Amino acid sequence: MKRLVSTLFVVMLACLSSLVVATEDKFHFDSPEKTALFVELTKELRCPKCQNQNIADSDAMIAVDLKRKVYELLQKDYDKEQVIDFMKQRYGDFVYYQPPVNPMTIWLWLLPVLFIFTALAGIVITRKRQVVEMDSEQLAKAQAILERDE
Amino acid sequence: MKKVALYLIPLGLFLGLILFLYQGLFSNPREHQSSLLEQPMPEFVLPDLMNIEQTYTEDVFLGKVTLLNVWGVWCITCAVELPYLKQLQNEGKHIVGLYFDQDIDPDFGIKTVARVQQEVTDKLSQLGNPYAYNIFDVKRDLSMDLGVTGAPETYLIDQQGKIRLHHIGDINPRVWNKKFAAIYHELVAQ
Repeated sequence: MKRLVSTLFVVMLACLSSLVVATEDKFHFDSPEKTALFVELTKELRCPKCQNQNIADSDAMIAVDLKRKVYELLQKDYDKEQVIDFMKQRYGDFVYYQPPVNPMTIWLWLLPVLFIFTALAGIVITRKRQVVEMDSEQLAKAQAILERDE
Repeated sequence: MKKVALYLIPLGLFLGLILFLYQGLFSNPREHQSSLLEQPMPEFVLPDLMNIEQTYTEDVFLGKVTLLNVWGVWCITCAVELPYLKQLQNEGKHIVGLYFDQDIDPDFGIKTVARVQQEVTDKLSQLGNPYAYNIFDVKRDLSMDLGVTGAPETYLIDQQGKIRLHHIGDINPRVWNKKFAAIYHELVAQ
């Protein structure tokens, strides 16, 4: 019995490993640089159908098609920017996780900076005012004490 | 008085934030501007689904206002919209199908064309055929050039062969009246 189980286990492992090999073989590149670029691009391109997954992660038909397209383009010696432009032309800025800087998206960077500066300014102003108020009050009190002693 | 104004600033900011987040509840994340609007149809040479010998190119859309409907028999929502598309066709609209198959994996290719044709004929005889003809997007290349994310999707193409509208999802009376009707009638009147 024990032997049977272990044989089954080995068979299962063999199946699994052949699956892994199959998916890797599907997109085979000549150079390791291209393989790395392929992995990078499929991680940074967003699946248009299942919006919170990149195309490497997703099994939607569209993601499979996009992966194949990336592979084709890389085989045609496209560089990273060219592949991204190809996808943006068809699926919009949406398809790439890094948003472009334009009048609408500039606020993503400006707002946090503006917030920090206004908050800092606010803190400085209130601090200054408090110090002055405390000083005059304390001075008056001290003056009163001095006068009483005399 | 000045102090009241000072306290109103954070309240104003807070209300602004609330408003911004509230309207976000009603926005549709799947809806985003298609980057192909006002662009001519991408170039293609593809066969007719029912008659593989006949081929079409992007010129086939010239001179007519066309609704290009992306669909497949495996797509449930497409089956839901077919009767309404049939109704639109009865009203005189020119509807062309862009058919692609899920099971034809360009890497493995198992399904025969005859089988696909049989499935389509069965589906259309059951639910009604709204299509003047179907373009067979064999390897889903045209779908990719059009920015198709799934099925069903519909494009409105004007007489000059330019894409004027891209709708993701099914077409029903509500969508037609809200999104298509005005621009369609304007294009037809040209």
